[in-house]
Amino acid sequence: MIPILAWRNTWRNPTRSWVVIIAIAMGIWAAMFMTGFATGMSRSYIENAIQGLLSHIQIHQPEYLQDRSVKSRIPDLAVLQERLEYEENIANYSIRTLATGMVASGNATRGVTIRGVEPEMEKQVSNIATKLQEGDYFESDRKNQLLISRKMADKLKAKLRSKLVLTFQDMEGTITAGAFRVVGIFESGNAPFDEGNVFVKRQDLNRLLTEATADPIPSGELAHEVAIMLRYPETLETTESVFEKAFPKLQTDTYREAAPDLQLYESQIENVSMIYLTIIMLALVFGIINTMLMAVLERVKELGMLMAIGMNKLKVFLMIVVETLLLGLIGAPLGVLLGSLTISYLGKNGLDLSSFSQSLQMYGLSEQVYFDLEPSVYVQIPVAIFITALMAAIYPAFKAIRLRPVEAIRKI
Amino acid sequence: MSVITTKGVTKTYNPEKIPVHALNGVDLEIKEGEFTAIVGPSGSGKTTLLNIIGGLDRPSNGSVQINQTDIATLSDNQLIDFRKENIGFVFQAYNLIPVLTAKENVEFVMLLQGKSKAERDSRVNALMKAVGLETKINKRPSELSGGQQQRVAVARALAPKPRFILADEPTANLDSHSTANLLDLMLELNQKENVTFIFSTHDQRVIDRARRVITLVDGKIETDEVRA
Ligand SMILES: Nc1ncnc2c1ncn2[C@@H]1O[C@H](COP(=O)(O)OP(=O)(O)O)[C@@H](O)[C@H]1O
Ligand SMILES: [Mg+2]
Repeated sequence: MIPILAWRNTWRNPTRSWVVIIAIAMGIWAAMFMTGFATGMSRSYIENAIQGLLSHIQIHQPEYLQDRSVKSRIPDLAVLQERLEYEENIANYSIRTLATGMVASGNATRGVTIRGVEPEMEKQVSNIATKLQEGDYFESDRKNQLLISRKMADKLKAKLRSKLVLTFQDMEGTITAGAFRVVGIFESGNAPFDEGNVFVKRQDLNRLLTEATADPIPSGELAHEVAIMLRYPETLETTESVFEKAFPKLQTDTYREAAPDLQLYESQIENVSMIYLTIIMLALVFGIINTMLMAVLERVKELGMLMAIGMNKLKVFLMIVVETLLLGLIGAPLGVLLGSLTISYLGKNGLDLSSFSQSLQMYGLSEQVYFDLEPSVYVQIPVAIFITALMAAIYPAFKAIRLRPVEAIRKI
Repeated sequence: MSVITTKGVTKTYNPEKIPVHALNGVDLEIKEGEFTAIVGPSGSGKTTLLNIIGGLDRPSNGSVQINQTDIATLSDNQLIDFRKENIGFVFQAYNLIPVLTAKENVEFVMLLQGKSKAERDSRVNALMKAVGLETKINKRPSELSGGQQQRVAVARALAPKPRFILADEPTANLDSHSTANLLDLMLELNQKENVTFIFSTHDQRVIDRARRVITLVDGKIETDEVRA
């Protein structure tokens, strides 16, 4: 009987009820939108990073990660390479020689990481080849070709075909330098990366690193980093452990370990969506309290009469709570439906944020955000909002049972 | 057998600020089957007395016994249950639950009592017939006239078989025709089914039909007249 009474009471003032229902639906929708946006953003951020130089798994000599010295090269590269070719799950890998040094034009000098890559291999692993704005990706066979970013070009006042000098320590610790010609200018979309990295062919870098060495290592065996893309990213951890076991002297890292900031970013994004959810819930609490309080106060006499003729406080309390819950029961599915439609649409088509692209690039974020939502969130959000509605019902319901029937009836 | 006994009942509103002495020592005994009017000028304490007899309010002093129960011993929640089982109420207005039909309104207290569907149905049908509204069973209060609404209220009050019915100026909002109809109904129920009625009024036509008339002046019983 209470549900029937509550249901009919709910529709005494349909406009007001719809306002609450729509508020609840909008609250759920907004929470799903924010979470979907945040999840999509963080996934695309991670995906971007992986598609960039990070890849799924990186292998280094452990010391290299500490000292960044060219001397901390990967030993027995050939053995590692053999294994890389053999493992089923490895889609592609790239061997890189890395050096830290300076790049100088006639106008300016910048500190950079010089990345010596095998152009064909690198193309399979990272997307740098697709980020060229001008020039080409090591197309010719000429020696000492260089890729720099648009930012770097601006800072150095360099153009395509400009000659720049790279300076760094060779394997002996001696400062060495080489003149390189700019053949391509890229823009990766990640400003900090663009400011600190240039690309050369690995063979050119290796030659300069080993030329002056007394006991030269064959140029083909010098490398500091192997970046691996997996065929099945789900097998990340197992593949990592395969290499950890097979090469205990090398440091094998998943992208999560290699870039701990990604995890920080992920949790940060989670916190932000929690804050939004809390704000939405608070707004809803006050909205619902206000509405239900109105519904109680305009029925003071009737509630007094109900208690006079024998409806006890628990039943009156429940009636008000159920009235509120009914609004939630209509609003919640509506909100979830709207939210799911929005997420699935924006998951397919993405949300274009190009008007914010400048600031997005500063944080290495992409312009197109494809929304995404963990399946569990489809339950969590409506449940959170539902609990919100329940909590909001309590105060008006208490107000109702605090009425004294005589006083309520006196007002007739 | 007496259903209500009050001894030295006083009621003072606002005892701290500006005290209003609404009742000043009321000794009263109501017996089963009586048809009693509480009369008196406005402000004489009629409503206050009915509220105290009905367990809606508590006296400042004195005692109220209903069916041998001193209602001062009951908690607020026990009092709600006590009212549900023992007392039927008819108010001047806002008697009915607007979202329920006439039938559902009459049935309401029986539902609270947990009576079976069969018992509810037969009682509701009998009562709606008794108040002459068997054709209006499924109408909402807003679709009924004031007089019809009060008759539904009487049926609602009777449904749980209370020991007595309290009605505070039940005819105050009715025209003379509806007033006469309601009085006919109440008298008939009183005579045929021995229902005890206590009602307040200041309408002379209503007073004329009461069998016992208690006159209140300044919160005291001035006269108590039983007619033949
Ligand atoms: N809640 C209240 N607070 C203060 N005074 C009240 C209250 N209710 C009634 N009174 C006063 O008590 C007296 C009796 O009122 P009431 O019982 O309503 O008389 P009646 O029903 O005969 O008109 C009046 O003077 C009235 O103003
Ligand atoms: Mg009165």
